[in-house]
Amino acid sequence: MRRSLLRGASAVALALCLAAPSSAHDARLHANPEAGNGSPHTAAGILSTVNNQGPKTADSLTIGIWNTAANITTYTIGNSWNDWVLYLALDKLLEPSPYMSKGRSWLATEVVQVSEDARIWEAEIRQGVKWHDGTDMTAEDVVFTYNLYLNGPANRWTHHVSDVPRIETIELVSPTRVRFTAPRPMPNFDLVTAPELPIMQKKQWEGIEDPRTMTDPVIGTGPYKLVEYKADEFYRFEAHEEFWGGAPTVKELTLVMIKDPQTIFAALKSGEIDGAARALPPEMVAQWKDDPNIEIAQAPTLWGTWMQMNLNDPVFNNRDLRNTLSLAINPEEMVERVMLGRAQSGKHGWPHLDSTWTKPGLEVPFDAEAAKAGFETLGFVDANGDGYRDLPDGTPFDWRIVVSTNQPLYVRAAEVMVEQFDAVGIKTHVEAVDAATFNSLTTDGNYEFSISEITPHGLADQDQYMQFYSSPQMKTLLDSEPERLALYNEWWEADSRETRQDAHFKLQEYELKYPSRFMLWYPDGLFAYNWKAYDNYASSFGYGIFHKYSFLPEAGRIGTSDSIDQLIAE
Amino acid sequence: MYYLRTTLQYLLTLLAALAANFFLPRLAPGDPINALLGADVVETMTEEQVAQVARELGIHDALHVQFWNYLTGIFTGDFGMSIKLGMPVWDALIQKLPWTLLLMGFALVISTVLGTVLGVMSAWKRGEIADIATMGGVLFVGSLPPFWLAMMLIILFSTTLGWLPSYGAYKVGTSFPSLNWFQGVGLRLIMPVLALAIVQTTSVLLIARSSMQMALDQDYIMFARAKGVSEGKIFFKHAFRNALLPLYTHTMMGLGALIGGSLIIETVFSYPGLGGLIVQGVNSRDYPLLQGLFVITTISIIAANFVTDLLYPLIDPRTRRAG
Repeated sequence: MRRSLLRGASAVALALCLAAPSSAHDARLHANPEAGNGSPHTAAGILSTVNNQGPKTADSLTIGIWNTAANITTYTIGNSWNDWVLYLALDKLLEPSPYMSKGRSWLATEVVQVSEDARIWEAEIRQGVKWHDGTDMTAEDVVFTYNLYLNGPANRWTHHVSDVPRIETIELVSPTRVRFTAPRPMPNFDLVTAPELPIMQKKQWEGIEDPRTMTDPVIGTGPYKLVEYKADEFYRFEAHEEFWGGAPTVKELTLVMIKDPQTIFAALKSGEIDGAARALPPEMVAQWKDDPNIEIAQAPTLWGTWMQMNLNDPVFNNRDLRNTLSLAINPEEMVERVMLGRAQSGKHGWPHLDSTWTKPGLEVPFDAEAAKAGFETLGFVDANGDGYRDLPDGTPFDWRIVVSTNQPLYVRAAEVMVEQFDAVGIKTHVEAVDAATFNSLTTDGNYEFSISEITPHGLADQDQYMQFYSSPQMKTLLDSEPERLALYNEWWEADSRETRQDAHFKLQEYELKYPSRFMLWYPDGLFAYNWKAYDNYASSFGYGIFHKYSFLPEAGRIGTSDSIDQLIAE
Repeated sequence: MYYLRTTLQYLLTLLAALAANFFLPRLAPGDPINALLGADVVETMTEEQVAQVARELGIHDALHVQFWNYLTGIFTGDFGMSIKLGMPVWDALIQKLPWTLLLMGFALVISTVLGTVLGVMSAWKRGEIADIATMGGVLFVGSLPPFWLAMMLIILFSTTLGWLPSYGAYKVGTSFPSLNWFQGVGLRLIMPVLALAIVQTTSVLLIARSSMQMALDQDYIMFARAKGVSEGKIFFKHAFRNALLPLYTHTMMGLGALIGGSLIIETVFSYPGLGGLIVQGVNSRDYPLLQGLFVITTISIIAANFVTDLLYPLIDPRTRRAG
């Protein structure tokens, strides 16, 4: 008993102390071969001291999730934290994601461009695929799904059909072939749209008037069948024995909700759960590196943290000011001080450094002296002698950096940001508010700066990148910056992948010089799991290691990286 | 007359509270669409698209229409649909209510018994080492932040000793009413109840000690001692019985607050009660869910107050005479 208590006291002490900042990435890590632009920046691999070899199959696994997946439908999942839960049950025409510039055949055996101007595409639907209720998936289901996205209630997926691109008609051209026609070119239909939208069963959804209130377990074609759930408590999946891609490697998956960040990792440590589908805090890498039961994996998630500014404020609708502000920001310092070295610097801008859509080699310079000179040129001088610059008309200002209180790292980042602006004479302060207030302030444009997380959906998806220009704030930039508008239009008119990529690259260069937001860092994507329960996780861009491909036989993993253990072996 | 006046007062309070329950969440910044679709998605939506979603969620109607729907819904038992959960609010409440009652009920019983015993004993031994030690210990423990206390319990009993599960209310995969299910419920109840009871015991102890001291300082205690009444009789019959009234009030208030659950403890232990649901409702600005939660919390607190008031005259005849 005494020994146990001593162990308890040690654990408490361990939990209370802060780990020393970690050094750079583990030398054993390998570059991810799937990175489309050949970038070595994001690595995938094991960070634990020993790379154990555990079981490659399992009867059951329990994985902790922290953000509710609600009723697991496209209408109640509103973020990218848990879309992987939906994708356990639902498949897309092509997979794995819009983040890789290559989609592999999945529910469609092929997706081909039919018209030269890239306005018309056709998909040949795979035959023999079964829904979870045993019925056949057909091309009619695909037509129904895409039409629902086009005309039905809006959700996180719909703008990929209703806006960028806007598809006009979805029709059957044969019992197994679907045609998609758009008024404007959509040369990346097979790279973004098709690998993004989950296919829903017509039979289940056609009679439902309000899809947001559908509470029956969703029926999909995916490798896992949802058999029981209590939103906000747990989700129980069983392997879909008739899954066309082969039997999954884990027969039963139970996802349990553990909202508190400390509790979810405590539950992993105590063996109550087999994996924690939540980014491991950087300081825990050092603490757990030698744990005999837990393995820590790094996998590219394509997440990022950025600082936005209120573009509705006329002050910021000045591209030279935004350029000058960007010179004053040092993302490298953020990485060291806030992320303890476990991230890539945001100096590469938006989109994500490792997105396959990103122009390689771009970089925002950090130059405080140039920033000071820029402010002087723009008339931001210290008129009242208080040590801080004032607006060109002499009005003093103290800009707010708004952050959400449920993101302690961002509060810290905001504090660092205040110091960096202070160094060039710009007065700012941190305002930490609750999550809903934060969302409201930023959506309503009631802020100067805000620091927030951005998901792969917004950071590594070319169509979504352009979708941002539908927002009122970004529209103001199009209205006031003819050069930006010309590039935007060039993208829309481009009718081939190459010309569109070229236009996108030009827009990125422009954005880097006259940013609409400032990238701070791209987190490494750290995950922890119990290797003795299951040790066959794969790394997939945008998802990390918790996604359906980690539970598929080898053939089903094409399009993701190899399993993490294989990466090490290479 | 006393009962009629009390009843009317409580009806007015109820109406005012129901109105506050509706308007307060809407006065706070934020809206449910952001929480449902994600701020990054909403940011890129056109105004028409946002308006369409608002219509679908029933938050597009004029405020007085929403208020009328809310009031009529209360009386017909229809609390609407939860925006975030996509299910009827009533179903969500019914799912979570038993867990909250179980958790808070146990914590209330333990903290009341423990706090009362320690408090009256402390007052009885006033100034002695036992009193000083009890007060010092309880004040120290009571000043610990509940979330920290909960985390320490998890680190000790789950992570280190491996004795107790750290999250949830039951073992997922077991079914009611199997032995495994009950065992899972029992084990998962220990730490949250312990954390809550430790925190709540402090206030009970302070009330018990204070009211017992006041009773012990009364002239009739001195008179009883002068008469040669035994110490046991003085303790139970003369002092403790007169010290009960504040404890009774505190316990009844605790009963009323049972329904609200514990936001912090339920969140730390991922206990599926109403406290956690309130946190989720607030974070997602899920107005129908918040309204439903606040309505039943309001009703339970008002009902507890009402019953307390009605029973006062029976427990303490002095209040009857005063009324």
